[in-house]
Amino acid sequence: MAAAPKTNDPVDQQMPRRQFLSWFSGIALFGSAVAGVFSTFVFLKPRATYGQPNRFSIGRPDEFPPGARLAIDTKRVCIVREGNKIAAISTTCTHLGCIIAPTETGFQCPCHGSQFDVDGNVTGGPAPKPLSWFQVSLTPSGELEVDKDNEIQTGTYLSV
Amino acid sequence: MSKESNSMGKTLLDLPANVWRSIFRNSLPSSDRGRAATSFTNFFLHIQPVRVSRQALRPSYTMGLGLISFFLFVILTVTGILLMFYYVPSTTQAYDRMLDLRSAVAFGIILRNMHRWAAHAMVAVVFLHMCRVFLTGSYKPPREFNWLIGVALFLLTLLSSFTGYLLPWDQLAFWAITVGTSIAGYAPFIGKALKFMLLGDATVGQEALLRFYVLHVVVLPLVLTITVAIHFWRIRKDGGLAKPEPKLAPALPAVEVLIAEPAPVLVAASSSAAEGTAPARRFTIQGLVRGPLIQVGKLEEDTVFSWPSLLIAELFVLMLTIAGVLVVSYFFNAPLEQPVNVMHPPNPAKAPWYFLGLQEQVSYSAFWGGIGIPGIELLLLALVPYIDRGKDGVGRWFARQRVLANSVFLFFVFVNIVLIVIGTFFRGANWQFVSPF
Repeated sequence: MAAAPKTNDPVDQQMPRRQFLSWFSGIALFGSAVAGVFSTFVFLKPRATYGQPNRFSIGRPDEFPPGARLAIDTKRVCIVREGNKIAAISTTCTHLGCIIAPTETGFQCPCHGSQFDVDGNVTGGPAPKPLSWFQVSLTPSGELEVDKDNEIQTGTYLSV
Repeated sequence: MSKESNSMGKTLLDLPANVWRSIFRNSLPSSDRGRAATSFTNFFLHIQPVRVSRQALRPSYTMGLGLISFFLFVILTVTGILLMFYYVPSTTQAYDRMLDLRSAVAFGIILRNMHRWAAHAMVAVVFLHMCRVFLTGSYKPPREFNWLIGVALFLLTLLSSFTGYLLPWDQLAFWAITVGTSIAGYAPFIGKALKFMLLGDATVGQEALLRFYVLHVVVLPLVLTITVAIHFWRIRKDGGLAKPEPKLAPALPAVEVLIAEPAPVLVAASSSAAEGTAPARRFTIQGLVRGPLIQVGKLEEDTVFSWPSLLIAELFVLMLTIAGVLVVSYFFNAPLEQPVNVMHPPNPAKAPWYFLGLQEQVSYSAFWGGIGIPGIELLLLALVPYIDRGKDGVGRWFARQRVLANSVFLFFVFVNIVLIVIGTFFRGANWQFVSPF
């Protein structure tokens, strides 16, 4: 009784060993589970895809006569030439990813009826955004190259 | 010498009977005790209670919908495994394998038809089962968590059906999945990453086919099986199917179970309160243990033995389900359209029927139609037992005390069915409104 516990004893304020061990193992187990789930997601997200490259050549400028609006469905772009200006407009619907087709007045989506004008601005239907314009450049070999990773301002043409 | 050969001969003679008895511990029951023991000692039967309330057996109460869902899942598993022997998840081969099922594989057509129609049926029946549980108020305590499991099972059913939709690799499959996964892409924050991870690529292609295949044949069935097991286990632990309150039903004596000392821990699960230390305590019956420890006294009057009453009912539903699937599969072929042509979306491109309500909503607003509203609806659905805390009207169809909850639920059901009907029959090229008449 006389030897009452000293409140300032550092040993009293320390976490008991059992408690420390259970906390430690709990955190370690939980951490391992989180790391496991995270690694699974990292594993499932492909580093490289087997699909088509996003930068591709579409041929020489003279293959597209002035006034042409040629949809290349395999690449999902429409090549537009007005005079000597060339641009590439996406033909992937901004709504749900269907392939849209060029029409007299612009573009039309077959899935949910979205309509776009010739510049890809939405004129009707559920599409939330205008169609993307992709950067077109002239390679040293004289071919046109479209870069779908590089979206540019609507109405930006390449002069050839 | 002769003595020994005699005993050898006896051993051999008794061998079949001994093997049989080591597997089936009880002969076909002729007494109540035998009926209880039969249910209790057989692995497949012990999943069921020894006794079951008459209400749970009434076809007009459950309509057997939960059981039909389960049997459809069994049919899907069996036919699915068989189909796997001939299917190749490759963009160059999958479609050809579909054609082979028609021409080169014995029973190929009927197996594919059964798998397809049972899948559609399962979506519908699981939904109807959910409606039954809601409209009879069967999600009330203590069954809240089982309702949650049920909502999860409904989602897993939809996902299983949706992932299977891509596998034939025809135009129908390709464009339905293109539209469906784009909807997932509208989810806030994680949408883009989710879509990419689901497809394994920017667009639907070989990677997506392989991923959907693995999800469809391994991941989802495994999760579904485990979840179904929990669902069944919880039914038992929650005291069987929901019944009306005792005061509404004719007054019944509780089941008397005499327990010889020492009292086994086994039956403590649903002990009906503290009646002290008397050697005879009252329990509701979950199972009867053979042997000296527990004896049966009086039994609840509105229950019957599972063997044979429940078993016969279950067999009947099983036969009905198999017969239904077979008949439909015999007369109607599963659709197979042209092989995938990435250049030419069909016009209109439609999702599977159970997602056409969603697609109809999506045609107004991609985010709200595809993610926002369905998300809110699902959240409400999951939280139903925690929002509706009223205790009345359990175990009866359209109980008057539940008129508000039932009306709200039926309103949501009605709106979704109308949307599906519009999406299915009233939408033509470019998703324009057309009349089917």
